[in-house]
Amino acid sequence: MKSGPDKRAGFAAFLPRSIVARTSLSILVLAVIMGLLFSITASWRVRAAEHDRLMSRVDELASTVESTVSVACFVNDTKLAQEIANGLMKNRIVAGVTITSGRTILFGTGTIIEANARAHAKVDKITRPVYSPFEKGPAIGGLTIYVSHEEIEAQATAYSGYITWILSLQVAIVAAAVAFLVYLLVTRPIKGISDELHRLEVASGVQIALRGRRRTDEIGQLVGDVNALITRLTDVLQKEHQLRVAQEISERRMRLVFEKADTGILVLDPAGAVQSCNPAFVRILGAEAAEPNVRLADLLAPHGERIARLIGESRASGEPRDADFEIDRGGVRGSIWVELSVNPLGHNLLQGLLTDVTERKRAESAARELASRDTVTGLLNRRGLDASLANLLTTNTAQHPLALLQIDLDYFKEVNDTFGHEAGDRVLREVGAILERSVRRTDVVARTGGDEFVVVLPGIESVEKAKDIAVNVIAGVSVPIVLSAGRRAEIGASIGIALAVPGEGASALLRRADTAMYTAKQSGRGRVCLAQTGGDEPPATHAAA
Amino acid sequence: MKRLVAILMLALALPVARADDAPAGIVVIVNPASGVERLTRSEVIDIFLGRYRKLPTGQLALPIDVAEGGPERAQFYQQLVKKSPAEMSSYWARLVFSGQTSPPFQVPDVKTALQLVESNPNAIAYVDRAAVNPKVKVVLEIRP
Repeated sequence: MKSGPDKRAGFAAFLPRSIVARTSLSILVLAVIMGLLFSITASWRVRAAEHDRLMSRVDELASTVESTVSVACFVNDTKLAQEIANGLMKNRIVAGVTITSGRTILFGTGTIIEANARAHAKVDKITRPVYSPFEKGPAIGGLTIYVSHEEIEAQATAYSGYITWILSLQVAIVAAAVAFLVYLLVTRPIKGISDELHRLEVASGVQIALRGRRRTDEIGQLVGDVNALITRLTDVLQKEHQLRVAQEISERRMRLVFEKADTGILVLDPAGAVQSCNPAFVRILGAEAAEPNVRLADLLAPHGERIARLIGESRASGEPRDADFEIDRGGVRGSIWVELSVNPLGHNLLQGLLTDVTERKRAESAARELASRDTVTGLLNRRGLDASLANLLTTNTAQHPLALLQIDLDYFKEVNDTFGHEAGDRVLREVGAILERSVRRTDVVARTGGDEFVVVLPGIESVEKAKDIAVNVIAGVSVPIVLSAGRRAEIGASIGIALAVPGEGASALLRRADTAMYTAKQSGRGRVCLAQTGGDEPPATHAAA
Repeated sequence: MKRLVAILMLALALPVARADDAPAGIVVIVNPASGVERLTRSEVIDIFLGRYRKLPTGQLALPIDVAEGGPERAQFYQQLVKKSPAEMSSYWARLVFSGQTSPPFQVPDVKTALQLVESNPNAIAYVDRAAVNPKVKVVLEIRP
């Protein structure tokens, strides 16, 4: 974590971290740069000033010896000239002297210097005309003083050096003073605040003390701002804590509901795969429901299409949709019923609620069975027949008409009276079995009364076929039924047949069949009678044998 | 300091000058045989203050100073180069020290000076105009 920025910083890594050190370094660097610039300027100026100063000193020297030089020139006195020159050259600043009188050189070290200088650089010199000491007139000679460049340089350098030294001292003192002040006024207070902040426990709401700092300055403002921030932060933290607690409780409750619910809860992704689900979902649908990305349509096979339709409807309407599905789990579990409710969650996701409704379905179905079945024979009862018949009559056509057989047992009362109710029930069950054996699986067999049965034959090919079936039934029933050792029940049956006229209602059809059955009974039992379609004509009867 | 000394000298010299100024001035004289007719003020200064020791004719010049204390000498130098006797002494002291030039030949009085000029064609001296005789030739009249 540290190596990254450090490596990247490069140069910055060499900079000190503390403000004091950085400020001092900055001031020092700045001061050194300024000092250097100032020193360069100063030394240039000093050099020029020093040059001027020394030149004026030489000028003064010239003035001092002027009168004596004029005497020497006046009398062409070389000794005196030499004396003067020697005196002048005792000054370190004087490099050479030339004294001329007219065209005569009375003394001349200057010529050598001048010759040397011509080869190297310019030579500073002061030349003065020398006048007669006694009368005004043209110059009688000249005095030239050559100035030592080394001396000017040396003096200027010494002076510049002195200035530089003073400046350095000043820079050092200023930098130290600034460093101390920065430490005193900025760094120490900030460090103090920082230390307090480190120790601070935000939640406790403790504030930073101003402790002798002035409220009005920047540090004071900083302290004030930090305190305001702490107050706000404490507030926010408390609120957040409360919220978190509330949310935790709510979440735990939701999780409990999710985990412990009997209803399977699942989220479906746009592809119809189960994204997440609760234990109940797995409990209902079996272990494969827990597999990742299993498709709901596969879990609820073979209802893929219906599920897709359900999901599509819910998506399109944006409202929940539900439907019941019967699925065969195979094995011990057998067939179960589930109710699936889907509800759009947004983001193309769906929430599904899956409830095991097998028990309810079974109870419902049992209740329905109970209502429509005869408890003795297990055949449809009157109510069951009414429902089936009404249903079948709606699909009745002229080509394949519906035939209804009204069957009444002969001599059943005798059997009941002789052998008891249990034997009677046994005979009724036997008759029911015979009837079911005699017709197709799609045909309807019902017990509508004590010894009355009805068989509905939808889509019969012809009346003859219906008659054949009726004759078969009579034959079947007429075979004595063995009740126990040595006891046999001998019964028979009379049958009335009615062919449904298109548009005819169930009650009308049943009435006609009933009439035909009575006709058969009156005409001497064990007979089949066909009901008239018109109405009043007596039905034709046929002997069973 | 120098100026103060000069003022002091002038103050001392003034009453003397005033006393002798009225009758006549100082003149420079040579031997008539020298062939010199006139001398300029500069030529006289050059000769008497040691610049040259030659007359314009090319002959050697022998300047003669009257002994110190006499009125002519102070008057002469005062009028010629505006120098007091003390200044003149200082001037010569410098030159004597180097030994290259010497001051004019010194005679005790004006009379001796006249005799020297009368007898020596190289001699050149200064006297009061009143003391001039025909055996000498005036070549310059010094006016202040």
